[in-house]
Amino acid sequence: MKRFIVWFSCLFASVLHAEPIWFGSTSATRVLYINSTLDMSSFRPLLERFVTRHPDIRVGYIDVNTLELYYLTVSESAQPSASLVISSAMDLQLKLVNDGFTQPYRSDETARLPSKAKWRSEVFAFSYEPVVMMVNKKAFAEIDMPQDRQALLSYIRQNDEYVSGRMGTYDIRKSGVGYLLASQDARQADATWGRMLEAFGSHGVKTYCCSSDIIDDVASGKLVVGYNLLGSYAAQRANNDSSIEMIIPKDYTLMLMRTAVIPKHAPNALDAGLFIDFLLSDEGQSLMTSEELLYPIRASEYEPHFAMPIGPTRTIRTVDLDQQLLVGRDLVKQRRFIKNWELALELSSDD
Amino acid sequence: MWRRSLRPLNGYERQLDYQHSPSLRGRFIVVGAFTIILIALLAIKLVFDYSERLADISYDRLLRSALLQMDENVGQIEGEITIDIPWSAFATLAQASEDRVFYKVESSSQGFITGYFNLDSSPALPVDYGTIQFFDRTYSGEVLRFAWLERYITEPDASGTVRTVLAHTRLSREEMAASITQRAVELITLVALVSIALIVIGSQIVLRPLHRIEQVLESRTPGDLTPLTLKTPRETYHLKVVINDFMLRLQSNLEELENYTGNAAHQLRTPIASLKALAENARDIGRPEQQRQALEKIIEQCEALSDTVSFLLNQATISHRLQSQPMGLIDLVQPVRESCRAQALTALRKGVMLCFESELEEAIIVGDTVAIEQMMQNLIENAVRYSVLENGVEQKEVVIRITPMPNVYRVEVMDQGVGISDVDKQRVFERFYRGRYDIAGSGVGLSLVKDITKYHQADITLSDNHPHGTVVTVDFPAFKFREDS
Repeated sequence: MKRFIVWFSCLFASVLHAEPIWFGSTSATRVLYINSTLDMSSFRPLLERFVTRHPDIRVGYIDVNTLELYYLTVSESAQPSASLVISSAMDLQLKLVNDGFTQPYRSDETARLPSKAKWRSEVFAFSYEPVVMMVNKKAFAEIDMPQDRQALLSYIRQNDEYVSGRMGTYDIRKSGVGYLLASQDARQADATWGRMLEAFGSHGVKTYCCSSDIIDDVASGKLVVGYNLLGSYAAQRANNDSSIEMIIPKDYTLMLMRTAVIPKHAPNALDAGLFIDFLLSDEGQSLMTSEELLYPIRASEYEPHFAMPIGPTRTIRTVDLDQQLLVGRDLVKQRRFIKNWELALELSSDD
Repeated sequence: MWRRSLRPLNGYERQLDYQHSPSLRGRFIVVGAFTIILIALLAIKLVFDYSERLADISYDRLLRSALLQMDENVGQIEGEITIDIPWSAFATLAQASEDRVFYKVESSSQGFITGYFNLDSSPALPVDYGTIQFFDRTYSGEVLRFAWLERYITEPDASGTVRTVLAHTRLSREEMAASITQRAVELITLVALVSIALIVIGSQIVLRPLHRIEQVLESRTPGDLTPLTLKTPRETYHLKVVINDFMLRLQSNLEELENYTGNAAHQLRTPIASLKALAENARDIGRPEQQRQALEKIIEQCEALSDTVSFLLNQATISHRLQSQPMGLIDLVQPVRESCRAQALTALRKGVMLCFESELEEAIIVGDTVAIEQMMQNLIENAVRYSVLENGVEQKEVVIRITPMPNVYRVEVMDQGVGISDVDKQRVFERFYRGRYDIAGSGVGLSLVKDITKYHQADITLSDNHPHGTVVTVDFPAFKFREDS
């Protein structure tokens, strides 16, 4: 608990200084601030299209880490700076809703959304996010790439020294989505997760705040394997970079949803609603596919999909957008989980 | 002779009257519909209460299951009470799909362990360790349903209690209750509407026999007074009987009227014929002396005729009066005395003395003064007429007497005339019956008397006077004040 508060205060300070990236004309009469965890490369075309559609709205976009975003939203609950909060950390978004920090929004677009992609009409999923592994092709020039976790484990065992210090994954203490993925892994396959942790720990795994940093290091060859990455970023990079390969684990694939909420007392809830409508609209959804940005939530309507490797034969474990997410964020459970994670990875809690 | 309506109603008035008349069917429908609506409202109220209870029972089960799953995972690690909330507990709660979830775990030794720190975890009901209690409480701006459990810690080296509180919003409960209620309300409304429709249709069917009677009566020719032979249900049987009775009475009244008119015409024709004969006779007689005699007879006959006519008129008047005027409390002595006084002079001219005897100051009966005066007039005239016939030398006297008897006041008219034979006594009260045709009279006088006494529920008897003559006795029932009885 104490740790969070310390984090929170430094993060908050850093966020305050973050300058928004502006979209739209400076003469626009309305301003919509969006706090989001989405990387600019995946989001820019959508924002640009939105301000073209709504020339009277100017969008201020602030990129924030998932965990920071949660604490920022909670701390600003009385007077939020942003009217729209977009995050891939479903559990934190749902906790915002459950704890009463958001307001409901209803429109034709949200009504069209399947019920599993929204909760209480306060949080809306607009894209899917498969969770994948990424490898550097050079390392696997002569051997098969591991297609699932068991294969990855045996690969680590066999290439003990080679992989040492050359594996990367999320730092679950710093990244909200990283924690979510780890806790879901533990939930899906506790034994496998334990062995993975053990293997990571004994081979000096590197921890990162963000998917893109891990991908960068895999591409540069600093890392051989990146574990638990967000699929849309990975696919985007893999398409443009022949040195890396995205692997969709065959034993099971976690599937997240990117979600948006409107904070209670949001200064511009109206335009935030418009933006949600835009993300859920046919135009927004098809733009995600055509520009190879994200996996749209209404995917079936936009097939064939860019590099969307997820067919019906895959064992997909979609993380439900409901109250179960709260369990992972239980104070005691979270503390114990992170502690075990630190112990396994041989990291000290001051790290 | 019969009581009549003031005047027949015209079409417009009849329509107004129809519209303002209370409708039997309308009343039936209104009372029926009102009852059904009342029952429906009551049922809806019950359904409301019931559906809420049902929803609570169903969702409390979820809450209980989730709470127990949480409680099972309360344990001790390194001397500290802690909990590892199972995913399944919240998967259970996720069945209440849109409901926000709050929880708190605390122990008596450590205080707050996990959950929502500011959630009020105090029990709402008397504490029974190890037993789950449910209650509603507001938190975070919404009413929540709480499941509350506190139990003793069972770990070997720990003491005190651990309290687990799990709460969720009531959205799903209300949805369930609303859907139950909506179904039930729809059903109840449907049943109520169908019942009202059945009442409307049923009332038509029930009242059909009345319409049939109405139609049958309407389609009859005006002179048709034969009884209704229509087959009608038991409930309208009496109505039919009453109508038939009424028609029977109407028929007998009409027959009486026919007889009366026929007799009256007959009675008038005879004197007129005799008048004509007398007049022809007088015309043909040459001698003035005899002519004069004949004319005298004509005048006499005219007087008799005039008497008859006035009797008939009187009777009509009295009959009408008896039918139309309600009777009141009157003093019997007064009209009797008045009649005597009025007739005294006429009687004296004929050589008869009227003698009124009464020691009563007043005799209260229910009756009509005019009718009684008429009755007395007729009786006294008759008595005088019969007295004159007696060829006695002594002073002729008619005594009128009122005496109180038990329960009745007796009025007696006693003459010392020629008397009435026993055969005639039986018939004198018949209309147009004349005991003796040598006496002037119409034959209607005593029948009117009979009518009047009947109307007053009085008894009339004829008996012989001593040494000769007749006594007419009329016993009027005395009016009894309530305190006397």
